[in-house]
Amino acid sequence: MCASVKYNIRGPALIPRMKTKHRIYYITLFSIVLLGLIATGMFQFWPHSIESSNDWSVEKRSVRDVPVVRLPADSPIPERGDLSCRMHTCFDVYRCGFNPKNKIKVYIYSLKKYVDDLGVPVSSTISREYNELLTAISDSDYYTDDISRACLFVPSIDVLNQNTLRIKETAQALAQLSRWDRGTNHLLFNMLPGGPPDYNTALDVPRDRALLAGGGFSTWTYRQGYDVSIPVYSPLSAEVALPEKGPGPRRYFLLSSQMAVHPEYREELDALQAKHGESVLVLDKCTNLSEGILSVRKRCHKHQVFDFPQVLQEATFCVVLRGARLGQAVLSDVLQAGCVPVVIADSYILPFSEVLDWKRASVVVPEEKMSDMYSILQSIPQRQIEEMQRQARWFWEAYFQSIKAIALATLQIINDRIYPYAAISYEEWNDPPAVKWGSVSNPLFLPLIPPQSQGFTAIVLTYDRVESLFRVITEVSKVPSLSKLLVVWNNQNKNPPEDSLWPKIRVPLKVVRTAENKLSNRFFPYDEIETEAVLAIDDDIIMLTSDELQFGYEVWREFPDRLVGYPGRLHLWDHEMNKWKYESEWTNEVSMVLTGAAFYHKYFNYLYTYKMPGDIKNWVDAHMNCEDIAMNFLVANATGKAVIKVTPRKKFKCPECTAIDGLSLDQTHMVERSECINKFASVFGTMPLKVVEHRADPVLYKDDFPEKLKSFPNIGSL
Amino acid sequence: MQSLRRKSLWLALSASWLLLVLLGVFPLLRLAVPSRPQPGASPGWPRWLDAALLQSFSQPGEPAGDAPPRPQGPRRGSCTWDTCVDTSRCKDGLTVFAYPAAGLTSERHRGVLASLEGSRHLTSSPTEACLLLLLGWDSPAGGCSPGPPLWNAGRNHLVLRLHPAPCPRASQLGQAMVAEASPKVDTFRPRFDVALPLLPEAHPLRGGAPGQLWQHSPQPGVALLALAEKMGRWRVVADIRSPAWGWDGHCEQDPGPEPTHPGERPPNATFCLIPGLRTEAWRFLQALQAGCIPVLLSPCWELPFSEVIDWTKAAIVADDRLLLQVLAALQEMSPARVLALRQQSQFLWDAYFSSVEKVIRATLEIIQGRIPGAPTHPSLLWNSPPGALLALPTFSLSPQDFPFYHLQLGSRPEGRFSALIWVGTPGEVPLKLIQAVAGSQHCAQILVLWSSDRPVPSRWPETAVPLTVIEGHRKVSDRFFPYSAVSTEAILSLQGHVGLSTSEVDFAFVVWQSFPERMVGFLTWSHFWDEARGGWGYTAETANEFSMVLSTAAFYHRYYHTLFTHSLPKAMKTLADAAPTCVDVLMNFLVAAATKLPPIKVPYSKPHLGAAALAPGPGPESQPPDPDCINQMAAEFGHMPLVSSRVRLDPVLFKDPVSVQRKKYRSLEKP
Repeated sequence: MCASVKYNIRGPALIPRMKTKHRIYYITLFSIVLLGLIATGMFQFWPHSIESSNDWSVEKRSVRDVPVVRLPADSPIPERGDLSCRMHTCFDVYRCGFNPKNKIKVYIYSLKKYVDDLGVPVSSTISREYNELLTAISDSDYYTDDISRACLFVPSIDVLNQNTLRIKETAQALAQLSRWDRGTNHLLFNMLPGGPPDYNTALDVPRDRALLAGGGFSTWTYRQGYDVSIPVYSPLSAEVALPEKGPGPRRYFLLSSQMAVHPEYREELDALQAKHGESVLVLDKCTNLSEGILSVRKRCHKHQVFDFPQVLQEATFCVVLRGARLGQAVLSDVLQAGCVPVVIADSYILPFSEVLDWKRASVVVPEEKMSDMYSILQSIPQRQIEEMQRQARWFWEAYFQSIKAIALATLQIINDRIYPYAAISYEEWNDPPAVKWGSVSNPLFLPLIPPQSQGFTAIVLTYDRVESLFRVITEVSKVPSLSKLLVVWNNQNKNPPEDSLWPKIRVPLKVVRTAENKLSNRFFPYDEIETEAVLAIDDDIIMLTSDELQFGYEVWREFPDRLVGYPGRLHLWDHEMNKWKYESEWTNEVSMVLTGAAFYHKYFNYLYTYKMPGDIKNWVDAHMNCEDIAMNFLVANATGKAVIKVTPRKKFKCPECTAIDGLSLDQTHMVERSECINKFASVFGTMPLKVVEHRADPVLYKDDFPEKLKSFPNIGSL
Repeated sequence: MQSLRRKSLWLALSASWLLLVLLGVFPLLRLAVPSRPQPGASPGWPRWLDAALLQSFSQPGEPAGDAPPRPQGPRRGSCTWDTCVDTSRCKDGLTVFAYPAAGLTSERHRGVLASLEGSRHLTSSPTEACLLLLLGWDSPAGGCSPGPPLWNAGRNHLVLRLHPAPCPRASQLGQAMVAEASPKVDTFRPRFDVALPLLPEAHPLRGGAPGQLWQHSPQPGVALLALAEKMGRWRVVADIRSPAWGWDGHCEQDPGPEPTHPGERPPNATFCLIPGLRTEAWRFLQALQAGCIPVLLSPCWELPFSEVIDWTKAAIVADDRLLLQVLAALQEMSPARVLALRQQSQFLWDAYFSSVEKVIRATLEIIQGRIPGAPTHPSLLWNSPPGALLALPTFSLSPQDFPFYHLQLGSRPEGRFSALIWVGTPGEVPLKLIQAVAGSQHCAQILVLWSSDRPVPSRWPETAVPLTVIEGHRKVSDRFFPYSAVSTEAILSLQGHVGLSTSEVDFAFVVWQSFPERMVGFLTWSHFWDEARGGWGYTAETANEFSMVLSTAAFYHRYYHTLFTHSLPKAMKTLADAAPTCVDVLMNFLVAAATKLPPIKVPYSKPHLGAAALAPGPGPESQPPDPDCINQMAAEFGHMPLVSSRVRLDPVLFKDPVSVQRKKYRSLEKP
């Protein structure tokens, strides 16, 4: 038993007597303080001396007014990209060492206009998309304006499209950045790499060790685990709102909408159309459009004109064929339309392939298998197609639809590499919200039956019913698998009985005194609990036999992720009142067990104390009721499973059975309990309780078999 | 007087201090805390006045180019499935030809080949096989060039190295896929090579070394961290803040893995810190088995089966340069995460690593998943119990069709079942049984599997649900064939002469809906270790526990028919056909191996007759249980998968002292 320690420390006298010889000392001190005060005041009220450097950002300025930087022709050029770079070899992770909350800090260089010796600009200063991208980073939690604390540096030099810049000069501009250091920890965003005639699959600008978030990587240029493969943003995403279209069969089975398709591939597509007729639609650019119609928004088949990208919503599968570049913006349009992309681009690294499971949203067909495409697609079961259609749309919504989505996903991927123990899971990246909402990940998912030898810890919550408590202790101590008994003494006004008065039992008995008389104290994860199994038992439950308790423990071992209890209860929908109702009658169903006597895994104590949603814990403590219903909700919600009621119904001493004052108390109690159910269901946002029609009995219960040969003969006696 | 002056002095002093604090500290604080971007007054990226006028990075109408198709073929020694494999040979899915063990091959070599024999992928024709498998871990000295007859630069070859070989490296094997233990990260070709675990020399061929995790959560008081030390030792770390890390190895100096020595067992700790050197890779598996969460610091080797296994759920792979942050993160890790990591690492051990056979089967499953058009496992099937080897993609590609994933998917098993009634040799139409089953509101159809010598009767009773007769082949294993006529998830397997009431059927089905991955049955057997015979035995006698339910009357998911027919080696099915009582044992073994849980027993209203009396006549169950069967099965499985239960699930008001009128399942109340 624990002895309580009382602290009574009296502090020393606050003010010592001042002696004359100390006077000078104090006056000096006073003057120093005064001086400091004046200095601080000046520091404070001096016209914005600290924040003046940031001032320019508050006022609005034009892109054309940014400072001009002249690059001498002989200024250094970085090495070409190092193909062997990995995070461990090329990334300085120490710079990320002091970032709190496992979040990298990203610095953005301020915008400059770079010109060569002759004053000719190196590139157009910044594109709309790159401005959006930097704005998104700047508005995010990743951003820092403190260059010395940054872990990642993003140049404001726009390299989204290689065709709009001069390669050598852009490289020189990169090299003169203040923290360039061979490009270490610098991140470049590029969506359209390469240029004619051979269109490299990665940005041609020499960049040394800089990370590249690129929109058209192939297996040859992509540095796995270092670069990030990103989508090619489609400006149509912002221009056209395609409402989500439910999954299911669509008018065309297969559609091709790209305009610049290599003649060889167009032949293949035309052959497919010829073979399969109406179900395949191959579109091309329109040649005979009247003036004033935006040709990018129209596609034609022979003389028929279709709206693009709306027509994509008419097809189940949409071809995404590589052009000169591997990455195609049409992938984004196709996903937006909920059309399943058929990616035909050998060696292409799909966007965010490090985290996104593209098998769930696309079909990849090797270029030489193009002619078999139709039969490959037809072999996919309809249900899987619908799943892919939903998944495609979800990928677009989450990772393609805006520049901001692309930027933040890229940073998240890099963040997760640096702090892998805090990384986002596969499910968080890939499961659409509807799946996330409905799915349950049971915290105790590994199927195993804990060894019997460990036993259980009984926790008795008590206030002052000592006599009854002692009887419970004596009864419970007869259960063979009991390994420890914990008494939670919830009465602050009264001390627990003397050590010598407690029943002498064969297992350790500990008394824990609580600071406040709260019902939640029953479910606190006390350090004294050393077993996985916990038996919560009230100080007046004396009617359970040793066989019944031992059997309850055996049942818990077979169902360690559930609440295993004795008296069962049910929740019902009251159609008249349109709300939930608590039921304690003799019903054929059960959805809750009372925790006046119940076995459960001690992990649920942790969940109850620290992870209970909303204000339920406080509600329970304030109302001094329903802690058991709250526990039933919590466990059902975490595991998705029903309770197990053990053994036949007995007469239990419980509020709703005693009915001291007749019906009235009983009814008040029932109304309160019903209120709890409604309150908890609204906090959880769902009704997690599961209704079942079974209870657990010993295998031979009530069987015609000699009682003395049964393992648990004493069950159900009243 | 003096005290007054003293007081005023103090007052002034404290007031000025207060002012100093107020004025001085706040601006300093503002400097120290990185300011969060606030709309309007953001110090971040400026809001340009002319932002709306900026041009898009891609101008509409910009030609996408029309360069000719790129030249195909491997470049710079790198291979992908599309470039280095002749996929035309893989039209029928993954067919594997294994080069026969020739010359000086070890016992284990032959063992691996033998374990392949049960595989559904194996073919005997090397010219038609999609994949030619070459076991290359202990080729005779100097035999570094494999050069088998059909080598062809390694095209369509898989070189399987369960143990690291001194030579040659992956790049020298040309276009052959290399499945190698702990391959070096920089030569590993993702989605082409396969990373294998580094198995100890004495790893069991089949069945598997059981995991050592006995409980879900770490025991209280157990050490947080064990540290891998040199010479294969482990050390428990008392003070996690200064763990005295003795490793400073870099991948460049890595001599590569040596044949593993069974080092010291990892101590009882929550996390096991393992250096990234390839020489230490064997510790990874050791930690998994021990239920110690592996913490790998910048491994120089590719994690096993990294193509399909989501290791972030089971291990922590972190940068060794941030050791202190990693240690702090371990200390602060939430109990929920620790719980999940522990269980997942143990599940992976059991599902893919506990035997050589599992490692090889997983390798073949991964390669099969790369064939376009071949059924492949979704990620969920690889990464949650029971694992991809027990969830066959040939059954379905949608996880919700399996009995294992309803929770994760938020789905529920269907509300209807199909009754599959097996009629054996006497060939009597079980009229009463058909009526009782057809009376159930949950019954969708009745299928009669006619396995009698007598011709199928032409007249069948009128039933409310469709009744179909299937002619069987008079083999006992026929009962578990995946008949396409079965239209529901749940099957009620019945034998002609069992007497069941509609109430019993209804209740058992409602229970099955709560446990769709288990068998729910009325009649049970239990197994036991027979000390006298030194083997397993089983009995139909009434007992306080059970571990098998008879398919004479049991609900289970139809997936188990597919698993029975397509995953069990022929030898086992032949054994079951030869000794008919064995087929139930086999089915129970199979389901227990998948679920690791006991079946479920529901009440049966004629218990006084006993299980044996229930099956009168010449049905297979009337024969006494055959102890040879269970021992042979245990040998084939490599371990005893059966789990015992002491619980029977009864209706909530079963035999309670309350009016029968209140009870839903009244016929179960009869004495």
